[in-house]
Amino acid sequence: MKRYIVHRLLQGVVLLCLVGTIVFFLGRLTGNPVDLMLPEDATPEDRVSMIKALGLDGPLYRQFFIFVGNALHGDLGMSIRMRQPATEAFFSRLPNTLAIIPWSILLAMGVGIPLGVIAALNRGNVLDRAAGTVAVLGVATPGFFLGILLIFVFSVELGWLPSGRMGGPEHYVLPVITLGAFLVAGFMRLVRSSMLEVMESEFVKLARIKGLSEWVVIWKHCLRNALIPVLTLWGVFVGNLITGAIITETVFAWPGVGRLTYEAVIFRDFPLLQAIIILKSILILSINLLVDILYAYVDPRIRLT
Amino acid sequence: MGHRQAVMGWAFAMSIAAAAWSPLQAQTQKGTLIFAVESLAAQTMDPILEARPGNATYQAAMYDALIGFNIEKGGTGPGVAERWELSEDGLTWTFHIRPGQKFHNGDPLTAHDAQFSLRRQMAPNSLASAAASFRRTIKSIDVSDDLTFRVTTVTPQIGLPALLSRAVAAEGAIMPKAYIERVGEEEFRRKPVGSGPWRFTRSVPGDRIEFEAVAGPHWRGTPHFKELHILLVPEESTRVAMTRTGEAGIASIGPESMIGAARGGLEVLSVPGTMQALFQFWGSYLPAFKDSPVANPRVRRALSLAIDRQQIIDHVMNGKASMPYPFDAFGYTEYFDAAKWRKWSDDAFRYDPVLAKKILTEEGYPNGFELNFANTALPGTQFMVDIGTAVADMWTKIGVRVKLRHYEWGSFAPLVRGDQALLAGGASMYRTVGRPDMPWRFEASFAADSEQHLIGDKTICEAACQAFAAVYKDLLAERDPVKRTALTDRMVELVSETWTAVPIIEGMGYYAINARKAGKFTAIPGRHELGDVFERIPRPDEAPWKK
Repeated sequence: MKRYIVHRLLQGVVLLCLVGTIVFFLGRLTGNPVDLMLPEDATPEDRVSMIKALGLDGPLYRQFFIFVGNALHGDLGMSIRMRQPATEAFFSRLPNTLAIIPWSILLAMGVGIPLGVIAALNRGNVLDRAAGTVAVLGVATPGFFLGILLIFVFSVELGWLPSGRMGGPEHYVLPVITLGAFLVAGFMRLVRSSMLEVMESEFVKLARIKGLSEWVVIWKHCLRNALIPVLTLWGVFVGNLITGAIITETVFAWPGVGRLTYEAVIFRDFPLLQAIIILKSILILSINLLVDILYAYVDPRIRLT
Repeated sequence: MGHRQAVMGWAFAMSIAAAAWSPLQAQTQKGTLIFAVESLAAQTMDPILEARPGNATYQAAMYDALIGFNIEKGGTGPGVAERWELSEDGLTWTFHIRPGQKFHNGDPLTAHDAQFSLRRQMAPNSLASAAASFRRTIKSIDVSDDLTFRVTTVTPQIGLPALLSRAVAAEGAIMPKAYIERVGEEEFRRKPVGSGPWRFTRSVPGDRIEFEAVAGPHWRGTPHFKELHILLVPEESTRVAMTRTGEAGIASIGPESMIGAARGGLEVLSVPGTMQALFQFWGSYLPAFKDSPVANPRVRRALSLAIDRQQIIDHVMNGKASMPYPFDAFGYTEYFDAAKWRKWSDDAFRYDPVLAKKILTEEGYPNGFELNFANTALPGTQFMVDIGTAVADMWTKIGVRVKLRHYEWGSFAPLVRGDQALLAGGASMYRTVGRPDMPWRFEASFAADSEQHLIGDKTICEAACQAFAAVYKDLLAERDPVKRTALTDRMVELVSETWTAVPIIEGMGYYAINARKAGKFTAIPGRHELGDVFERIPRPDEAPWKK
């Protein structure tokens, strides 16, 4: 197991180096922050001065080596627009994003898993199709549209919930639904197919032969085994949520990492963008590693191989 | 005079003073004004780290600028400096500071603070957009006494006061010298101190900035609300929804949301003259395009005649825009004969597709020609893309085969630099923002050594380019208002005749207002941002603010 973890960690380091390099060069292909900071009547002289003040004046390779050198010391640079260490900016916003993610996953699992089971138990009939429709809707409805629709109905028309921004529990409802809706489909489809596979297995037949009630067979034996792949997916979903929160956070004016990413892209804030992507990568790699380790404990076959 | 009489006299004086003071105290500063805005830019409270839009949107609440606004007309007016004058040789500006001003920490605001602030804006670590230009043009800043200081420039800089107002740049913000020297820059950024009508309370990154009204009267106006919260809400639909639900009192919106906001029971405020959307031709003077239709000013004029500006105003801007003045000119532009040019513009910018087609035929293009047209929108004016699309469609109707390409601004801006290879020989969308002074914006587009160099560059500068350079030089040094107006007219005329940068519409700034949360007010003409208006906005139960 230790060898496995060390191997995965080394893989992660290589991956991070690649991500850092790609982000550094690709980011700079998209333009220059100075163009967005200077007014229309700025002189070439003003431009040169600002480029120098921001430390963007050296050749690209030199900037890259400075970036690598600083990154090795844990310094991912200074945000161009905010003039704040990029890591500090990231970690100041991360808790806001993490505040909605668990609730979104909980919502998605709470709806998606029962729907998946119901669909599997009613394979091919109306209930299966209804669950499938819910799943397709969840995937096909853009988060942007869903968010605005929810705001219109529950905030503007009914006046039950706030339109956005962080605040008390009532502020969480609409962003959590918007973020979680996409995942419902994923959980539902995965549980459905996994359940169908498990329900055909020998141990389930044995359980039935032994005379166990259908409720126990399905919800205890089948679902427990069917949830193993869900565990893997859970790791992927958390990663997706951290990166996919951009739309939800923009619509609901939620000051999280997603919106920070959006701002970094729009304003060509390279150091901030690099830091966000690298730190997100670390976060996602760590979550995936954790899930793999958990998976190995849950399913002994993984450990053996 | 006996002791009793002295006490009575003192009490009488105090009661008079209290009577004069208390109505101001009583009528103001209750409740919270909540303003939802699409961007808080760098969200820093240090003026040297913020560009003009951010400065004018939220920093303006707590920092006063050296030069203020003419609330009536929209040009410059008294600010921290109540008056200013230029020396005979045109090289030294003397600014007279308004007496009795104080920073929020109680320190008096003096000429030393103004000198310190300008020097700080020009420092190497400053991100002020005109820092380099200031370093080049400003020779010295000298304090004569607590209320007077002089700025000496290398060459005559007639437009310097306008540059020190928020209408043009952020460089006029006045910061507290003694406080910054005492606590250091980092602490100043954490606990900023200004002299404006609002005192900084807190800033939540990516979310909001909160201010509290200063207690006494302020020369800019005494705030009616007790607190001011500026919320960052990037999505326009959410801003409108928040205003409808009362979570915000005022929200910045675009023209596309105006009808929906009005239907939802909100009031819509339009601020006139905040920008001009225009189309402009790149490198049309270059030898490579000698035989190209875009090299011909008559063809360029024909393209202007093919644009139905009223249609764009009615359908793209939902009626909230107006016919433009010539390039970079607005009704409030200083040293500019607005009435004369209004008449000229109404004729020159008319819709006449028949004449447009006739001109094309006369110039040898009866079947039109192919034109590369780069469509883009500068930050804050996304509706430019719709205008560009409409323009391309109108050109198509007179036979021009428009090759339309859409660019996000960050990708478009680099194309403007250097040899402009991807733009030269074609046209693009562009804009000018509302500002009281003209020369600097003209220089940025038409000077041979400018970044855009629309009518000539350092190697090819023909008649129009040379004439522009001469007029521009004279204009910078001209002190006499009448002669300056005449020179401005000449400069506008020269550029207009080239038809290289042609206004399409004069745009406005738009705000949705919940009448239950904020009273009626008008903005300063040409000033899109409300940073200098918040203190004048009445509460819903108060009489409307009138200029």
